[in-house]
Amino acid sequence: MAKGLDIGTMNIICAENEGEDVVFTQERNAFLELDSSDLTNMMLDSAKVLYIEKDDKISVLGEDAFNFATIFGKETRRPMRFGIISPKEKDAIPMIKLIVDRVLGDPGYQNEALCISSPADPIDLDMNTLYHKKMTEALTKKMSYDTKVIDEGLAVVYSELADSNFTGLGISIGAGLTNVTLAYMATPVLSFSIGRGGDWIDEQVSNATGLPKDHACVTKEKGFRLGSEVEIGGPEGALTIYYDALMTYVIQNLNKKLAEITPPNVKFPVAVAGGSSNPPGFSKMFEKKLKEANLQIDISNINIATDPLYSVSRGCLIAARTQEGEEMGRNKNADDILQEIEEIGEGEE
Amino acid sequence: MDKYNIDEDSLGILRRGTSLYYAGSVIFAAGIVLLIVGVAFIIMSQIHYGSEPGKIILSVIFMGGGASLVLTGTNLMMKQTKYGYYITAAGTILALLALAIFSSIYPQGWYYPTVSYVLAMYIVGILALLGNGFANVVLWIISSKSETATRSSQENYTVHNDESIQRDIEEAVQSSIQQSSSELKFKDQNFGNVRLGKAFNESRGKTTRVKDDMNEADKLKRTTSGNKVKSGSSEVDKISSQLREAMENQTAEKGVIEKIKDRFDKYF
Repeated sequence: MAKGLDIGTMNIICAENEGEDVVFTQERNAFLELDSSDLTNMMLDSAKVLYIEKDDKISVLGEDAFNFATIFGKETRRPMRFGIISPKEKDAIPMIKLIVDRVLGDPGYQNEALCISSPADPIDLDMNTLYHKKMTEALTKKMSYDTKVIDEGLAVVYSELADSNFTGLGISIGAGLTNVTLAYMATPVLSFSIGRGGDWIDEQVSNATGLPKDHACVTKEKGFRLGSEVEIGGPEGALTIYYDALMTYVIQNLNKKLAEITPPNVKFPVAVAGGSSNPPGFSKMFEKKLKEANLQIDISNINIATDPLYSVSRGCLIAARTQEGEEMGRNKNADDILQEIEEIGEGEE
Repeated sequence: MDKYNIDEDSLGILRRGTSLYYAGSVIFAAGIVLLIVGVAFIIMSQIHYGSEPGKIILSVIFMGGGASLVLTGTNLMMKQTKYGYYITAAGTILALLALAIFSSIYPQGWYYPTVSYVLAMYIVGILALLGNGFANVVLWIISSKSETATRSSQENYTVHNDESIQRDIEEAVQSSIQQSSSELKFKDQNFGNVRLGKAFNESRGKTTRVKDDMNEADKLKRTTSGNKVKSGSSEVDKISSQLREAMENQTAEKGVIEKIKDRFDKYF
């Protein structure tokens, strides 16, 4: 067995095989602090709300944090920002550890193969992702997993571009960042991220309409459709405008970066995934913009992942299974021979 | 323009050179025409020592004027300093003035020492044009050779500028960080007295089950190991496949030998 883990700014998602199925386990990467009392604890326990209690404070974790934030008119606290552990959140690492522990679960055996996604360094922010990479790797290694880290964009390539021999452009539009990887035969040629994603849209919508950010996020994720007709004064209009702005920004930066390299002379398919590419109508709008942009590489076709939210964790699972398969193959002959020797040894005794 | 490090003086020369280049071409062409006409006139008129003065004057104007204009045009087509242009102008004026004097005084006033002065004036003019042109050609050859020398020296010695030094430093820092972070060992952090809610023990989170055979994992393994690479030669594919198998066996055997040794120590 092997597992894939997508540690995203908004969601932490684990992918694993169970028989012929793939099971995705997810939790929101957010928490909300409340005052502690016996009554509150009892109510939260009976409502099966995920929380922790520390120093007379209760932290509600995951999806419930969003629900409580809407009820109390507060904003959730986020352990991650711009795709990496938030330097502004003092409780970031303990909270991520709790959520990862819960979503990932214990390994089936010692050193079970695990592949986790990590963002590439952004080209438009003064930020380095190495610390985040090492911290998440250390957290999961402490849980007795044999952890490997891959770029988020490469995970999209693994998940969506198998038919083109893992050659193409993988784009993951997440909450904190947009990650891009250009791969040729499963080998990354170019990997980078752009410092805008779903959170940027929420922030702009919040600034424009006065809605709380979490409310804008919920509207975006539930029932919102990208289209040409919107209600005057509603958040949908602002969402459409800022989705358009985000796509233009991403494509312009992508084109700029592609101009710096000399890619192999082949046609590249494009796969788009990530939670922020979920709204219906996204694929049509993005495809149109990408075609208009005249990219520096030849594009064969543009695919939006069947399930954009799970694509990265699925790509990580594919990488973990490949890694596990290689190691099993390497040890196969040795194990057979050892078993025989042990049998001889037992016979002698 | 800063990119090519051109100073204001040089810029001026280039501007003059562009316009004068075309003027020089026209003058050069006019000179050639005059020379052709002159040669044709001499042949057709069968000019000799005793020919009519008018014919001799015309022949000299065609040939002398043609030669002067050809040299003036050549000089103007070359990029040069302002002193070069002064020499060109002076040479042309001297040569044309000599021809004008000749045509005005020949044959009545064409005697020594006037002949010497006029001839000297023409020769000085022509030599000035020739010398200036020759000097420019030599300068051009020297400068193009020095360019070659610069290039070859650049090939031998790496030229460092601020940007490349900064890049080298960044690369070194990045690789150092990578190395040191890979050697780091992390201890468990003490988060204090934390009590987990009941829901922590009940489920792992929201789950979604999808029917998926995940055959991409096998495909990825084949792609990364080289099986699917279309090299255009089945032989190369076969060899790479054999090499991969050999390497895998070698790794496995190495592990086996070490483990067998351990087990022998244990049991026998």
